[in-house]
Amino acid sequence: MGEDGGLVQPAPPGSAVDGVPVARVARPGSVSEASQVLAAAAADGLAVAFVGGASKLGLGNPPERADLVVSTERLDQVLEHAAGDLVVRVQGGARLADLQAALAPAGQWLALDPPEPGATVGGVVAANASGPRRLRYGTVRDLIIGITVVLADGTVARAGGKVVKNVAGYDLAKLFCGSLGTLGLVAEATFRLHPLPAAAAVVTLEVETPERVGAAVAPLLRSTLEPSAVELAWPDRQLPGRLTVVFEGIQPGVEAQAAACAEQLGRVGTAVVAGPGETDAALDSLGVLPFEKADVGVKVTCPPAELPAVLADLRSGPLAWAGPVSAHAGTGVLWMASDASALAERIAEARERLAACGGSLAVVKAPPELKRAVDAWGPAGDALGLMRRVKERFDPDRRLSPGRFVGGI
Amino acid sequence: MTEQTGQGPEPAHERASATQVGARGPEGLPDEVGAEPGQADRATAGAGRPEAGVAVLPAFDDHHPPAQELIDDCVHCGFCLPTCPTYVLWGEEMDSPRGRIYLMEIGRQGEPLNDEMVRHFDLCLGCMACVTACPSGVQYGKLIEATRQQVERRYPRSRRDRAFRAFVFRLFPYPRRLRVLRGPLRLYQRSRLGALARKAGLLDRLPRRMTAMERLLPTLGRLEPVPEVTPAAGPRRRRVGMLTGCVQRVFFPEVNTATARVLAADGCEVVAPATQGCCGALSLHAGREAEAQAFARAAIETFEAAGVDQVVVNAAGCGSAMKEYGHLLRDDPAFAERAAAFSDRVRDLSELLVELGPVAERHSLPVKVAWHDACHLGHAQGIRAQPRQALGAIPGLEVREIAEAEICCGSAGIYNLVEPEPAAELGDRKAANILATGADLLVTSNPGCLMQLRNALERRGERLAMAHVAEVLDAAVRGADPRTLLDRR
Amino acid sequence: MDRQALIRRLEEIVGPQGVISERNQLRTYECDGLANFRVIPSVVVLPETAGQARDTVRACAEAGVPFVARGSGTGLSGGALPVSDGVLIVLARMRRVLEVDLDNQRAVVEPGVLNLQVTKEVAGDGFYYAPDPSSQQICSIGGNVAENSGGAHCLKYGFTTNHVTGLEVVLPDGELVHLGGGKAPDPPGYDLLGAFVGSEGTLGITTKITLRLLRKPEAVRTLMAAFDGTDQAGDAVSSIIGAGIVPAAIEMMDALAMEAAEAAVHVHYPEGAGAVLIVELDGPEAECEHQFDEVERLCREAGSTTIQIAESDDQRALFWKGRKSAFAAVGRISPDYYVQDGVIPRTALPEVLRRITELADERGLRVANVFHAGDGNLHPLVLYDGEVEGQEERAEELAAEILFTCLEHGGSITGEHGVGFDKKQYLPRQFSAADLDAMQLVRCAFDPEGRSNPGKVFPTPRLCGERPGPRRVHPAEQAGLAEVF
Repeated sequence: MGEDGGLVQPAPPGSAVDGVPVARVARPGSVSEASQVLAAAAADGLAVAFVGGASKLGLGNPPERADLVVSTERLDQVLEHAAGDLVVRVQGGARLADLQAALAPAGQWLALDPPEPGATVGGVVAANASGPRRLRYGTVRDLIIGITVVLADGTVARAGGKVVKNVAGYDLAKLFCGSLGTLGLVAEATFRLHPLPAAAAVVTLEVETPERVGAAVAPLLRSTLEPSAVELAWPDRQLPGRLTVVFEGIQPGVEAQAAACAEQLGRVGTAVVAGPGETDAALDSLGVLPFEKADVGVKVTCPPAELPAVLADLRSGPLAWAGPVSAHAGTGVLWMASDASALAERIAEARERLAACGGSLAVVKAPPELKRAVDAWGPAGDALGLMRRVKERFDPDRRLSPGRFVGGI
Repeated sequence: MTEQTGQGPEPAHERASATQVGARGPEGLPDEVGAEPGQADRATAGAGRPEAGVAVLPAFDDHHPPAQELIDDCVHCGFCLPTCPTYVLWGEEMDSPRGRIYLMEIGRQGEPLNDEMVRHFDLCLGCMACVTACPSGVQYGKLIEATRQQVERRYPRSRRDRAFRAFVFRLFPYPRRLRVLRGPLRLYQRSRLGALARKAGLLDRLPRRMTAMERLLPTLGRLEPVPEVTPAAGPRRRRVGMLTGCVQRVFFPEVNTATARVLAADGCEVVAPATQGCCGALSLHAGREAEAQAFARAAIETFEAAGVDQVVVNAAGCGSAMKEYGHLLRDDPAFAERAAAFSDRVRDLSELLVELGPVAERHSLPVKVAWHDACHLGHAQGIRAQPRQALGAIPGLEVREIAEAEICCGSAGIYNLVEPEPAAELGDRKAANILATGADLLVTSNPGCLMQLRNALERRGERLAMAHVAEVLDAAVRGADPRTLLDRR
Repeated sequence: MDRQALIRRLEEIVGPQGVISERNQLRTYECDGLANFRVIPSVVVLPETAGQARDTVRACAEAGVPFVARGSGTGLSGGALPVSDGVLIVLARMRRVLEVDLDNQRAVVEPGVLNLQVTKEVAGDGFYYAPDPSSQQICSIGGNVAENSGGAHCLKYGFTTNHVTGLEVVLPDGELVHLGGGKAPDPPGYDLLGAFVGSEGTLGITTKITLRLLRKPEAVRTLMAAFDGTDQAGDAVSSIIGAGIVPAAIEMMDALAMEAAEAAVHVHYPEGAGAVLIVELDGPEAECEHQFDEVERLCREAGSTTIQIAESDDQRALFWKGRKSAFAAVGRISPDYYVQDGVIPRTALPEVLRRITELADERGLRVANVFHAGDGNLHPLVLYDGEVEGQEERAEELAAEILFTCLEHGGSITGEHGVGFDKKQYLPRQFSAADLDAMQLVRCAFDPEGRSNPGKVFPTPRLCGERPGPRRVHPAEQAGLAEVF
């Protein structure tokens, strides 16, 4: 590669993207360097994958080709924090944890709490990563207000801006959310921020059956309480699961809400308002994914009111999946650990059952051969043709993580 | 039939249109001949009607065209659309206040007054809900009246249309002619013949508009005129004139007697001159300017002669028209000032009662009442609080609000006669909203609304007791049994 | 296909009462809420079902004519301005609420449903639809989707794009697709829903919208605080945000705007106030009460001269009525006016307002200011008299200068009203050619023939490359108005 200005180096031995070995790596330190690298890669027809904290390389299908990894590790600056405007502009390679640490002194945070440690901001955007507090704050698409991307041919393009209110031009930032590096590199992103809550309170409830989950969560969502998170953790099918409801805000507010919540949940079982030490512990372990020790992890989505029924089907119904489960019970997102044979056997039926209620099942952790067999994503709906056309426009030579996305995009 | 005073041999505006477009003079009762359905018939979702296939250019002449300054007040924001009954029915711009003002504007700029334009002006109910909604203060009432007047004078309606309108305006503004019909109508209503005709669907064979008229007639009771003078009960606080009306006088005479009693009970000496005629509201709202002016002059002279402090009106459309006499007669040097002064002294019944403050005790009337804001009371006169206050002051009486209160019931003067289909749709909508309140009694302040709503409810197979607000107040003052209100009609 | 043939075809699809082709009637559709630009469409069609809408679009595709979609026609950037040889597709008759699912907090509606109608539908059960543009009693959900409409409460709750979770869309070639997950979160694939919302009708027409409903908060507290001037009011806003409070809404009006609103609505603004803030907090009672007391204290500390607290729903509604009527009410104090829409970082507010006054004085014009103080979205109302020689031109210049000032301070040329026709000439000031080209990639994927609301948003229409078959020169290219992209 001639014109890459020495930015491209051989990759360390054993480097791979989801099992596909990669020979070269580039580590641009600026947007213009990233542009140079991609232009050079285009000239040589190289297939490119983007890597931030490497926490989500297992997401999606294995790429068909990977010749060059573009790492964002040197694009790690917090560029601009306008605390008075509750806005931050940050490079894609900055770690989310570092960003939060930089914002905290001003009493602000980016309201995203995905569980994967080491995730970069760019990776969070590209993977549409989220955590328990999505119930209250939304996901990446609801927080991103501007983006700078580098396209397959090296073009640098911006959309959105630095202000929360902005409808000039198309909202490309949203298009890039969850695009998994198939449309371009997320070089910079601008987000709206929220004040860091001063206090927190936690209410827990043991639930013996999926129906109990429904009986507890449905009235909670209909009430005027405003929890930050409603989480279900069910590591062992033989034992009851645990529902954790989190309130964050000012002290008098969270106290009053926790008490009201405990009373409401008390009609379903024994609800407990956590004491101070327990609150911290509960918050620390909030949203931990259940498949760290498993080979296979899936993400199930469904309308939130369907969650109890879906859970019942997956666990004790015909599908009878046995692995540990956790869920964002107020949003309709469920994470489940499994094993390869169970997945292969039941995934088609599970996907059909979920499609009937408008949901989906994605394989988020599995050996590459298994993903090739079952397809990580499942059906993508009637807009797949349109998605292919979008891909064709942005990456006409099909070099950015080809095959990793839905429908083999 | 005797002519009412103030009415000339042939209205000037009708003669004018006859000479301008070469049409023959106005005919008698309508016949079945109609023109080929033209473009206008299909041009809107609204009730299409065959038109003359003519375009008048320029659209407006110099006699009271829709005023440019008033048109300019419209900033095209569209806030009026959701309250406009025709927009609610059909969802098209031309049948919205914003669209109609636009048509007036382009008419002024040189587009012809053609069938389509006239169609959209005709379809306007004149309810003035748009005036209430408009943040810019557009005086749409003045605009549509000016426009309608232009249309009546200069646009050649189809023979059938002209004939029907002539028939309506030869009948309704003349209480003596209406009274002549009372006898035969009563007989028809009470006889088996009428019931049989209805059942056999014979009436559906009549032209649509005649059927509409027939269906609107209330059941007629005995005719009890209001005395010329009703003395105040107790010390006299005011001497007020009372408009007895046309339809009200003949078809709802008990409303007038109740009105006089209530006013008297609260200390008014009520003068109801026997020689009074029509106030001209129907004519004014239909754009028959010269006719309306003639009625107005006569009304002003009658009440001036009666020597009253104020003139009280118990029909919303009439009160609204009388408050406009100043504007209507602005060009007449002999009447301009007198008319303006007269208009300042006109009061709606509830408006006056609240202004005076009650004197007579209101006895308990434990009734659940749905109060219907007649458009010419709520929108045109801005009177919403007073009737509610007057009713609310009656112990035991609960006033319930009707959903979509701002949307017209479809009566709108002669609208439910000339445009029966949209009127029926609006009536149905209002009827559903009224029934949803769960009230025992529907109360309003306009005879047209009462007829329209009774008709609409009957179409649904429902009956609901109805009363004029004067009758409710009268019952409260007399300490009457609530059943006298609830067990009727 | 000639015009008569197209009219006949359209009448077959929607029936004769759904097709308008007579000149006077067509003229009532020649502009939307921005009356400065008028174009008479060739035909107007009013479909009543999604099938009819799709067939209409397909008929346009077959005839090779462009189309523009319109809801209630209240947009302020000319987004529904017709194309003269094109079809105007009006969605006002598709106004049914198809489904309300409170368990999943969703409603599915047709595009002609009015914004406020959604809230009315679910208010009885304690829910509401959050995005509340000032025109919400008349603006349509379809229009809201096209413009990504905001409203006073979007500071806390976000915009239309945060409340739309599913769309049924007719693409410009007549294909019907579904975007977004509807009731289920995180649908697999690209967030085309996010790209479509705010695309101002240039990517297709939506025929069904799945909306997110919110539970009405336990408590609402509203106050109106008067200040000597906008600087002091701005300081109050800064300290409120700085205290970590996120109000549901913070609106500011200056003296001239108050004068207009008073004439229309009779709110009884305090005499002599230079600026007024409306601050609304909502949420759980305990939190709301506590923060409201703090807000009141901060307003006083910033120098508020009078504070009125809404004691009832009616009073709260009156505060808001004054604010929401302000634009149209300005018609009472000036023969003409031009409402501008720009955004700046909130912290730049005092400086930008000063600059606006300077610019206005230079041109001898008055500017009334109404804005969403919490998010820096300004609505300067440039007052002028079109009858006076040269004033209209000066007013346009001033409006443009205000936009450039916004850009200079790191803002945007539009916060809510959209680019439409009115501002497309300014888009290149905010975005580079590369930025606009990247956006065009999306447009070409949805609408390669460039028939969906052409001439809006982007200044130089780009054609989307070769089409299969013999290459025809596009009329726009021939006229030198477009380039092949």
